[in-house]
Amino acid sequence: MAAPLVLVVLAAVTVRAALYRSSLAAFIAERVEVASPLNAWKRVVEGLALLDLGVSPYSGAIFHETPLIIYLFHFLIEYAELVFMITDVLTAVALYLAIQDFNKVVFKKQKLLIELDKYAPDVAELIQTPMEMHYIPLKVALFYLLNPYTVMSCVAKSTCAINNSVIAFFILATIKGSAFLSAVFLALATYQSLYPLTLFAPALLYLLQRQFIPIKLKSKSFWLYTMQYASLYLCSLVVIICLSFFLLNSWDFIPSVYGFILSVPDLTPNIGLFWYFFAEMFEHFSLFFVCVFQINVFFYTIPLAIKLKEHPVFFMFVQLAIISIFKSYPTVGDVALYMAFLPVWSHLYRFLRNIFILSCVLIFCSFLFPVLWHLWIYAGSANSNFYYAITLTFNIGQILLISDYFYAFLRREYYLTHGLHLTRQDGTEAMLVLK
Amino acid sequence: FQDQAEQFFRSGHTNNWAVLVCTSRFWFNYRHVANTLSVYRSVKRLGIPDSHIVLMLADDMACNPRNPKPATVFSHKNMELNVYGDDVEVDYRSYEVTVENFLRVLTGRIPPSTPRSKRLLSDDRSNILIYMTGHGGNGFLKFQDSEEITNVELADAFEQMWQKRRYNELLFIIDTCQGASMYERFYSPNIMALASSQVGEDSLSHQPDLGIGVHLMDRYTFYVLEFLEEIHPASQTNMNDLFQVCPKSLCVSTPGHRTDLFQRDPQNVLITDFFGSVRKVEITTEAVSLDRDVAGFESKFLEEELATEPLKYAEQLPVAQIIHQKPKQKDWHPPGGFILGLWALIIMVFFKTYGIKHMKHVF
Repeated sequence: MAAPLVLVVLAAVTVRAALYRSSLAAFIAERVEVASPLNAWKRVVEGLALLDLGVSPYSGAIFHETPLIIYLFHFLIEYAELVFMITDVLTAVALYLAIQDFNKVVFKKQKLLIELDKYAPDVAELIQTPMEMHYIPLKVALFYLLNPYTVMSCVAKSTCAINNSVIAFFILATIKGSAFLSAVFLALATYQSLYPLTLFAPALLYLLQRQFIPIKLKSKSFWLYTMQYASLYLCSLVVIICLSFFLLNSWDFIPSVYGFILSVPDLTPNIGLFWYFFAEMFEHFSLFFVCVFQINVFFYTIPLAIKLKEHPVFFMFVQLAIISIFKSYPTVGDVALYMAFLPVWSHLYRFLRNIFILSCVLIFCSFLFPVLWHLWIYAGSANSNFYYAITLTFNIGQILLISDYFYAFLRREYYLTHGLHLTRQDGTEAMLVLK
Repeated sequence: FQDQAEQFFRSGHTNNWAVLVCTSRFWFNYRHVANTLSVYRSVKRLGIPDSHIVLMLADDMACNPRNPKPATVFSHKNMELNVYGDDVEVDYRSYEVTVENFLRVLTGRIPPSTPRSKRLLSDDRSNILIYMTGHGGNGFLKFQDSEEITNVELADAFEQMWQKRRYNELLFIIDTCQGASMYERFYSPNIMALASSQVGEDSLSHQPDLGIGVHLMDRYTFYVLEFLEEIHPASQTNMNDLFQVCPKSLCVSTPGHRTDLFQRDPQNVLITDFFGSVRKVEITTEAVSLDRDVAGFESKFLEEELATEPLKYAEQLPVAQIIHQKPKQKDWHPPGGFILGLWALIIMVFFKTYGIKHMKHVF
């Protein structure tokens, strides 16, 4: 499988290099869908320039990246394009290896459950075979590298690519089973943008499953392992934050990075839901609604953990999607990361109900974003409501996509244990309904 | 003789310009056009030629369909004085009177295709009279009922003029409501300002004419015009007399003036320094030596007037600094402790995951 992967990587690198050399690079770099105040390349350059002038980059409201990014780009700023291409390639390779391992785990688990007779007799067509699972890792890498969203995000040199790479390595470490590395990478991801904190739960569930520790609240080994993992994670986070203090000898970066993410002061339009709401809100309500919106991101973790505790990797996928829909400054780079996982659940295709309309919605909205931006900002014949409408539609499309996959997944699990042809008590055919 | 020669050096200007702006349109703002045209007449009568006057009128009253006496603009009731006449040259008319055009005229940033008559071609020996009238408020003046110029913009425009050496001295007269707010923000030297009313006061119009149906003039400009009718090119009347024009009893508003930025004492500033283009020419048959005595008198005169350091134009470019500039170096480097700590952590993580056995390959 190495050769096709190398080919895919080469194709992706060629596309990116071609776009870097073309005139589209400048146009894409300033699009609000691709560059948000958190991860725009312009701001990184500005922050480094301020540092050269002897001013702390966090002194204004320009630079909202972490000190480790300052350190990284201080030496690599001339090779920025190479750095971002390599980052994308590393992400794809990490996802490839992760999904390869995950497929092995899925297959092993499936075999175990078949031998234990947990599956109903007529579900032969639902069982995944190694033949169809063989190309999934390659498809995942392909989906990530050649996704137009990723390409645009790379050409715009948005640091979202670095965040995606760290999350991909975190997923790889989790699936390989190394609690220490997974905690370190999760700490790095949380350190950069606060929201991967919610990925703690699925990672913990996966590692517990791998260690064969049953997830019961009374079990001592469960709490022991949880404490170990949590302490590894928190210690790494604290160590990284303290290390960043020593870069500039100040704690300025904490309000600039985390305060900025949480309090959402910058209301530049993006593909998220925060900006319009807060642009038209009265001052005395804004604190309340900021809290509501931020809690909304973290809120789905516990219910999903309860429902999906047997399937932590799917939980991770849904959680990633929720982060990239509901975070305060989403960009298409975040969308690209969870979309890379879609080939892993391609066996759910027969249970997806709205996939055609949702893919149409997502594609049309992606094309309408620049159109309505132009109409609003340049032509002056539209206003912010138009752009917000497309934002809303895009996010609704994403939410419906995720809930569709969620429903399909649960339905397949139900069919696996209860058989494909469901009958009611009196023998007539029954329909499965998600309540 | 020496006295007359000394007077030659008194004011320091060699040419005069006038920028007269009326910013209101619509028939019922007839009086603003009449104001501007009266000042135009006086200024022309006292010697400033049309080529040195930039006249901006936002509307055409003489040919307005509502004018019962077409081709005339009267400044006094009973149609005593037609300020329009046969030889009015309006440089910016109607919709061309905008804030942008006004600021471009002042600062000289005009597209190359602009004709000479629309340019203010002043230099550093020019005395400029700027007269503005219209509707205004605290800190702004309304143009054409659609945009405003603020006192800050005006002050910055004057500063640009100073830095580009576009005037020697500037007299700014404004006849609007709350006119004094417009000169509050000036900060460039050699500007004297007069206004028809203080902040919080309205400037009132003078008298309506029942034949034409509108108010013909504003009070302040009416009395200024009356005052200017007494001036002839040889008058020795000075600015202090102009400050006394239109006291509160006549004007109902309190006129204001500002002289703190002006170098000379208003007592010594002739009205004709700004309102006229006065050349004193005396034909003599004797030679007058100007080198020592007058220069000595001049320096004595300067010492009296300028107790502070004489004003210099700012150095536009610090040439010496630029040519000896060294290339900029990156000054900031991450502290050594940080680099050490970071790489120590990375190596620790590496060895923790892959085992200590790789250590021997490193050493």
